[in-house]
Amino acid sequence: MVAGPGRCDITADIIESCRRGDRDAFRALYDAYKDKVYSIALYFFHGDEAAASDTTQQVFLKLLRGVAQFRNDAEFSTWLYRLVVNACLDGARRAKPRGLSSSAFAMDAVAVPHSQEQDLMRQQTARSVRAALSALPVKFRLPILLRYFEDLSYSEMATAMNCSMGTVASRLNRGHKMLAQMLESLR
Amino acid sequence: MKFDLPLAKAPDSIWTAIEASLTEPRSSGSGHPYLPRRLPRRPLWIAALAAAASLATAIFIWYRTPRPAWEVVRLDGSPSIASKPMAAVAKIGVGQWLQTDASSRARISVGNIGTVEIAPNTRVEVVAARPDQQRLKLARGEISASVSAPPRLFFVDTPAGAAVDLGCAYTMKADPDGNGLLRVTLGWVSLEWEGRESLVPAGASCRTRQKTGPGTPYFDDASPRLRNALADFDFNGGGDPALAIILAEARIRDTLTLWHLLSRVDPTAREGVYNRMVDLVPLPNGVEKDRALQLDPSTLKHWREELAWKW
Repeated sequence: MVAGPGRCDITADIIESCRRGDRDAFRALYDAYKDKVYSIALYFFHGDEAAASDTTQQVFLKLLRGVAQFRNDAEFSTWLYRLVVNACLDGARRAKPRGLSSSAFAMDAVAVPHSQEQDLMRQQTARSVRAALSALPVKFRLPILLRYFEDLSYSEMATAMNCSMGTVASRLNRGHKMLAQMLESLR
Repeated sequence: MKFDLPLAKAPDSIWTAIEASLTEPRSSGSGHPYLPRRLPRRPLWIAALAAAASLATAIFIWYRTPRPAWEVVRLDGSPSIASKPMAAVAKIGVGQWLQTDASSRARISVGNIGTVEIAPNTRVEVVAARPDQQRLKLARGEISASVSAPPRLFFVDTPAGAAVDLGCAYTMKADPDGNGLLRVTLGWVSLEWEGRESLVPAGASCRTRQKTGPGTPYFDDASPRLRNALADFDFNGGGDPALAIILAEARIRDTLTLWHLLSRVDPTAREGVYNRMVDLVPLPNGVEKDRALQLDPSTLKHWREELAWKW
């Protein structure tokens, strides 16, 4: 059901270098994760590019400031996505509810080139999926984005979202069902 | 249904903003913002004098600077730190004990990663307060921890095991005999003792006993018969009769308990536990019976993650 872009591989050496304050290592870490973190925030905030940029910036600043506390025996991505979850939830608490941003349509430009008709269909589908995702309550939207963009395991998502694996599982399940219902017309 | 969400490219302006937040660019030296600026050369004797002065200053500061300490807030009554009554707000350092009597409570701020509430009749010691490890010892009483930090950064030692935070909120009790009870309200906690480990999710509990370590975790809404039989099995040599009750009483959600029991029962009883688990939840793809019965670690881990959908 979910086919995301796959996982990033960041070596312990890079993390260790980050802890020592190596800027190049931090840049490598940033480059490895920036698009995924930004994408999760972008879809979380209904295509609001400014909110997604703010969230991404906050996440990496917290990451840099806290990386000295990170130990390699824990999964790095779990910690990173916990920061993402917290930043998204903080942002959502601060922001007033809003609909799909007009700038969301700029994301269509990301799609791979195809024929004009294929492009139109893909754009229409992507728009519908984004709209359906936006309509999902936060608690169902977040696990779906984490699963899609980073393919986190249930236990990693549970740690990132500070809930049990059972809760993750049921939220993913319910979220997918709600999405499927909303997207029924595209089948 | 397969989603098709394009990965969006993060704008370059984010990195620019991060760099600007971190540091002002240096105008001399290597140009690397994280590296110290190169100092102009001075005569050697000045350098030696400066080094001696720096050393003296460092020693002075080391003696005068308080060791890493956590803030403690008095909530009720008159808790004591290092056997002295504490003020409304105080500090507690490594090696110091905080004690509450029957009418007092306190709250400790553990660095910047969370809080620990100390219930009445409790005695705790700060064992470590380092960036890479925050550690409390619970000698007796009850604490409630709420921690937001990378996994395995915050620990609570008890006489019968250490509670290792995996991102969570929980209460931990220890009685004067060193026996304890962990109850998790959010996230996960790993209870560890001499190579024995119990993974406890939100809504579940796990007992500990001195010289035995953590028992088998169970959900708080499991039947009383199951919970009693589990206590018999874990700590009173309940053996096969207790196991029979556990298997009979287990619901789908209690595969948490059965999954742990798989590696704790006598090898001759293992297949019975396996069969009950498969009765309750069909075996997921990627888990083979033989490997599960041989307690292959990756098979058990995969099985646990699939079972957790039901927990």
